[in-house]
Amino acid sequence: MAEVVANGVRLHVQRLAPAGGPRPDAPVVVMLHGMVIDNLASFYFSLGNALADAGCEVVCYDLRGHGKSERTPSGYGIANAMADLTALLDELGIDRPVHLVGNSYGATLGLTYGVEHAERVASLTLIEPPFRIEGLGEEMARSLTQVLAAISDEEVEEWLAFSAGRAVGRIMRSAQSLLRDTTISEDMLATTPFSPDRLRTLPVPVLAVYGGNSEIIEQGEGLANLVPDCTLVVLEHHTHMVLREAVDYLRELLRWWLLRRDEPIPVHEFRGGKTFELADWVLNRTVPTDLNAERRAAEATPAGATSQAPAASGASAGVSGES
Amino acid sequence: MTMQDTRRPADPALDALDTRILGEVAEMLREVIGEEYVVDMEITMDTSFNEDLELESIEFVTLADRMRVTYGDMVDFVGFLAEMDVDRVINMRVGEVVRFIADSLRAHEPAPGA
Repeated sequence: MAEVVANGVRLHVQRLAPAGGPRPDAPVVVMLHGMVIDNLASFYFSLGNALADAGCEVVCYDLRGHGKSERTPSGYGIANAMADLTALLDELGIDRPVHLVGNSYGATLGLTYGVEHAERVASLTLIEPPFRIEGLGEEMARSLTQVLAAISDEEVEEWLAFSAGRAVGRIMRSAQSLLRDTTISEDMLATTPFSPDRLRTLPVPVLAVYGGNSEIIEQGEGLANLVPDCTLVVLEHHTHMVLREAVDYLRELLRWWLLRRDEPIPVHEFRGGKTFELADWVLNRTVPTDLNAERRAAEATPAGATSQAPAASGASAGVSGES
Repeated sequence: MTMQDTRRPADPALDALDTRILGEVAEMLREVIGEEYVVDMEITMDTSFNEDLELESIEFVTLADRMRVTYGDMVDFVGFLAEMDVDRVINMRVGEVVRFIADSLRAHEPAPGA
């Protein structure tokens, strides 16, 4: 496992390159995953290998506290996330401007990095970024508190113990511990509001992608209205989970954005939604009342049946899902 | 199982390569998972990463990293994974990965009589 100590924190990093190595002028792409119920695997399997195979030099890393990176007790504010990324690029010896690709809260981190360190950024791809000038930190903190509440009651514990399975159980236990044992929620409150003036002069091209059915779609319009060079792509019928739902199109879109932007933008065709192994109610912050009903019923009768969490649509700002 | 067996190359040398790689990948899997339930589990070509091993996606990342270190540039894992999504990866059976590695290694060996 590749580990890099950056800004005093041990970070898990995966570097991906095409067979035979990247060309010297290959775009360097750095992926920023979403918060709490996410890690580098979501980008590794969706865009990471695909873009490396197309010729890019790709860096996926687990944000502090996530995946296999060190879980510090504190230091989850956006300022530290910026310092972690700068130190990581320095440690990896990457001095060319990078193409940042962020999902959900990772996209908010990318936008902040573009504003504060434009000289190190070649472009920004923001997938479903929660974006507002005022109150973003409060919204993030409230969202995380609600997620913790949603995954903390007895029904959830029973479901985790008997029905969730090992992979989902590990993700949920890790999320519970991150929210309970670190200062991540309160650290969100220290988020400095975006400066509209600095966004209006952002010297970096931005590709913003939202799902047409996302709860935060209107925030994308606010972003596109402020940033001078912004390509806004709305994928109809998709949700906040668009990285999982429309991976084939996003691979095509990113290859266009990074490697052949002089050509026409690829046209999106809806190819149906996806179901998730991770309980969507976590992202919805509402535990279904019948979470354990099927298993209890199965126990009461001789025929064995396993329970599965009911699927629901919807998402919460900044919290991304991965199984 | 039957289908996979019929698709296996008839050359016994290739079976030996498959067998060797299966053993190596199984050992890496036991280390990556690091839990009691896999210590005595028989890991075969037909073992599913999802249903049998209940592998978390980030554990597959660690496995791929170890395989990359073990087999080096002769095996293009980036190309192998580039067109799959996470569900496709996790729903693979161990044999699919083993065969990909074996085929890649075989492609780098000089052809007989060449």
